[in-house]
Amino acid sequence: MALLQVNDLTKRFGGLVACDRVSVEIQEGEIIGLIGPNGAGKTTLFNCIAGFYPPNAGRVTFAGQDITSLPPDRVCQLGIARTFQVVKIFKDMTVLENLMVGGFVRSLNTRKVHQEAMETLNFTGLTEKRDMLGGSLTIADKKRLEIARSLMTKPRLLMLDEAMAGLTQKETQDALELIHKLHEQKITLFLVEHVMEVIMPISHRVVVLEYGKKIAEDVPEKVSNNEEVIKAYLGDKYHASRRAH
Amino acid sequence: MFAATAVFLLLFPAIFTLPFPQHIMIMIFLYATLAQSWNLIGGYAGQVSLGHAVYFGAGAYTSSLLLMKWGLSPWLGMLAGAGLAAGLSLIIGYPCFRLAGHYFAIATIAIGEIAQISMVNWKGGGGAVGLYLPILDESFTNFEFHSTKVPYYYIALGITAIVFLVTYLIEKSWLGFYFRAIKGDLDASRALGINVPKYKSIALAISAFFTAVAGTFYAQYILFIDPESVLPLMLSILICLVAILGGVASVWGPFLGSVVLVSLSEYTRTYLGGGGKAIDLMIYGGLIVLIARFQPEGLMGMLKKFR
Repeated sequence: MALLQVNDLTKRFGGLVACDRVSVEIQEGEIIGLIGPNGAGKTTLFNCIAGFYPPNAGRVTFAGQDITSLPPDRVCQLGIARTFQVVKIFKDMTVLENLMVGGFVRSLNTRKVHQEAMETLNFTGLTEKRDMLGGSLTIADKKRLEIARSLMTKPRLLMLDEAMAGLTQKETQDALELIHKLHEQKITLFLVEHVMEVIMPISHRVVVLEYGKKIAEDVPEKVSNNEEVIKAYLGDKYHASRRAH
Repeated sequence: MFAATAVFLLLFPAIFTLPFPQHIMIMIFLYATLAQSWNLIGGYAGQVSLGHAVYFGAGAYTSSLLLMKWGLSPWLGMLAGAGLAAGLSLIIGYPCFRLAGHYFAIATIAIGEIAQISMVNWKGGGGAVGLYLPILDESFTNFEFHSTKVPYYYIALGITAIVFLVTYLIEKSWLGFYFRAIKGDLDASRALGINVPKYKSIALAISAFFTAVAGTFYAQYILFIDPESVLPLMLSILICLVAILGGVASVWGPFLGSVVLVSLSEYTRTYLGGGGKAIDLMIYGGLIVLIARFQPEGLMGMLKKFR
């Protein structure tokens, strides 16, 4: 049975259909990429799964349980964590405190949560910055902090919304390394990403959205050679460079 | 530093035996309690309430009316008033917490006005004339002392100490983290499993509880209450300003703010008499402007810098 199952999910904003009967299935332990041009409905799909928007139609099932329209805090408690496209860290709290907020959903024991936060800081490489205020971090560290904070909720499924957008080459490599480590921890990953070169090699499968509709879903190699996808999103340039290899 | 302050506060009535300095300290404790209670919802959780007089009034009126109608001990009345205020806060919070930022503040002002006007018109509750509490024998049980202020001093000190201890414990627990998270970012809080309306309500209920405790204390100390003294908008604003001046979301800020405000207002009142009315607030307003401009973290932020 799939860990996450999205069936015919539709989300409308007035006359705009942001997600149009989208279906996605994610198995435990997979890394799934979600791509598509700006405004294709990627973030909307995330928001519907995570409970931020109630969908107009369709069903979301997580680990066999119907979670359609559950509020975000319930969705988190059930084991889905997410990060935000525009980082939403607690800027007046230290890095350590940011992590601890995430930990209290699993235990109310401050000492235990503190201990776990220290371990997670170590795991994500933020230990040295633990006493810095969230707001004073670089964008790369803020994104890393969001991931670390999500991990504190002990998710089975982690949804990262453009975790590598706007990062330098080196920072992107570091982020990729972290994603590999998460995968080794058996966390299922659902990634929205704009940086094609980054998402293609790490995803087991890639889902492509355009104007709210799913236009393709396949292994990365096939997706990047799919004519419709190329036309919709990748552009001729990327197609050409793939052929040159 | 903490121990020295504690010893000083405990010995204060023995050193300053005149009623005036004792009265000033009692008022400092009262406002520190109010500001600290406000700090939980307004400072830590970031929901600026400008209607806290409602809870203060609820405490003052509940214990006074229970005492006058049924002769109930003000200590039990204090608990009843605090419980009522906490319950009331849940009812008030339910619609108001749907509003964000300034709109929440405006809604709380409106509710404060409703409460004051209702009490002015409720004859059974004393109406606009107010309530004169019965003069009973001096005793701890009766919560009345006529010959000396010293017992009031220690009761006020005790209440303040409890509120500060509770705040300290909350700050260290998940509640403190959740309140600050809600202040920081709503979406991130929800994504991390925080039931935002629930935790806002918890913060407000604890806040209302202790605000009402202070209300009962005030009634027993002054022995007279009316809608003008325990339910005015100005009181709601003062409570919030004391906390902001001292420094929000810090355990000691409200105490510091209260020391500055109460000393200022009591001394200007004493030295300038009736002509000096509201001068303390003018100075205070000026201080708030300076704080907002140069030191948004309040006096506590200033102290931290010097360290």
